Amino acid sequence: MLGKLLKYEIKHSARYVSIIYACAGAVTVLMLIAMLAKMTWLSVIGSLVLYLVGIAAVFMTLVSVIRNFYDTLYSRQGYLTFTLPVKSSQLLFSKVIVSFFWIILSCILLGLIIGIIALNASRQADASLTGVLDVIKESGILEMLPSKWMVAKLVFILAVVALLNILTFVGFVYFSVTLSNTRALQKHPKLFGFLIFFGTYGVANAINMKLTYSLPLAVHVTSENVYIGFESMDTMSESLTSFGIGGAIFMGLVALGLLILTGWIMERKVNIK
Amino acid sequence: MKMEKIINISSLSKSYGSKQVLNNVSFSANPGQIIGLLGPNGCGKTTLIKILTGLIKDYTGTVKIDNEEPGVYTKSIVAYLPEKTFLPDWMRPVDAIAYYADFYKDFDKNKANELVAKLGLDPKQRIKTMSKGQQEKLNLLLIISRNAKLYILDEPFGGVDPASRSKILDLIMDNYAKDSTILMSTHLIYDVEKIFDRVLMISHGKVIVDSHVDELREKGKTVEEVFKEVFTYAW
Repeated sequence: MLGKLLKYEIKHSARYVSIIYACAGAVTVLMLIAMLAKMTWLSVIGSLVLYLVGIAAVFMTLVSVIRNFYDTLYSRQGYLTFTLPVKSSQLLFSKVIVSFFWIILSCILLGLIIGIIALNASRQADASLTGVLDVIKESGILEMLPSKWMVAKLVFILAVVALLNILTFVGFVYFSVTLSNTRALQKHPKLFGFLIFFGTYGVANAINMKLTYSLPLAVHVTSENVYIGFESMDTMSESLTSFGIGGAIFMGLVALGLLILTGWIMERKVNIK
Repeated sequence: MKMEKIINISSLSKSYGSKQVLNNVSFSANPGQIIGLLGPNGCGKTTLIKILTGLIKDYTGTVKIDNEEPGVYTKSIVAYLPEKTFLPDWMRPVDAIAYYADFYKDFDKNKANELVAKLGLDPKQRIKTMSKGQQEKLNLLLIISRNAKLYILDEPFGGVDPASRSKILDLIMDNYAKDSTILMSTHLIYDVEKIFDRVLMISHGKVIVDSHVDELREKGKTVEEVFKEVFTYAW
């Protein structure tokens, strides 16, 4: 059943984001044509539009995650969704997975757009890609970078932190939308949804900040290594940079707790109008 | 041989805050019955239906459908038609049929396709461009295309004009699985009382009449007459 839930979840949510992805594709094609035809003014405008489309894609994806969750569960469609022969936890899990998929996809799209814009800018400056790389090599920046293995470690740690942040967003949003659709609060679900989200997120984020700086758990990047150390982020003077991850882990755990609570509310307390 | 009850409710109560919506309701139903659930607006019919369909879980008392508490199993054997249209507006009849076929093992896809044609619906028309009447037809055909053990129909004639009511009634009677039970909530008693085997009348959260229609007829009364008697007195 989870596979079927995922199929319809993707179908339903794709409607919200497909337009923005189609726009990104169209503008990219336009930019490529402008680059090939050496129409500078068009490719400059295209870069600007493409950048805005990239930002809009991330924003629209986040909005669609919220909208899709509400529509499929707490609007009239809830009569269909909540009477399917599946567990509430399966419903919730399918939504979390698809939200992750769209958010990650939007971030990848934004990364690609930035890459395309950079490529276009280098063309405008009459510098070939290899020329740009030569300049970077000559500057000695690459020698300052740690080994490929260290870069991979750093990327892996950053990816885990990014996933924790997505989990945090999804957990807080789903909890807020669900709690605001219980009988006591559903007269003003939007108002209560906002209040619950910003209230819980605000409190959790204050604790997150505190833990990020004070908890002895941080990623340290030195000239020779990248490692997770049990020292707070401001105690390692030899580090090129350090960032605390205690806060991100705390937020991830809170979000996980909120998702479990959301599943329980969906099972026991939600009232479909 | 003892007949298993399809619905078995005992001492069911439900409150919204200080407001008692269902108060110590008990009744059971055998397979094969068509039961009318009658009562004025706000009497607790929809709350009772939501409990039976697993949409409301926080109640007191015992509710069993085919010997199971409302949950994943009961949802697989109960075909529920809500009072409101409930399909996503991006769907077309062909998508809705595929959706039901995916989730319900008892769904008869061929019957659904036949009914789409019979009711004059365009299988490729998006629901958001359909009239309310077309949407209601689609909702109903999806429900009766299931070979469910229990059909729960909440005001199936709510937005239907008088001329179409008998057609819809015929559609239900011709297509539901014959050994199953129908629990139908309606306030249009005159149009449908001929199909009921039994009626439950609810007032202020209590079952105040639970009678077989034959018994009423033996007393020379129609269901509508009893309803008017009871509720003129009760309200």
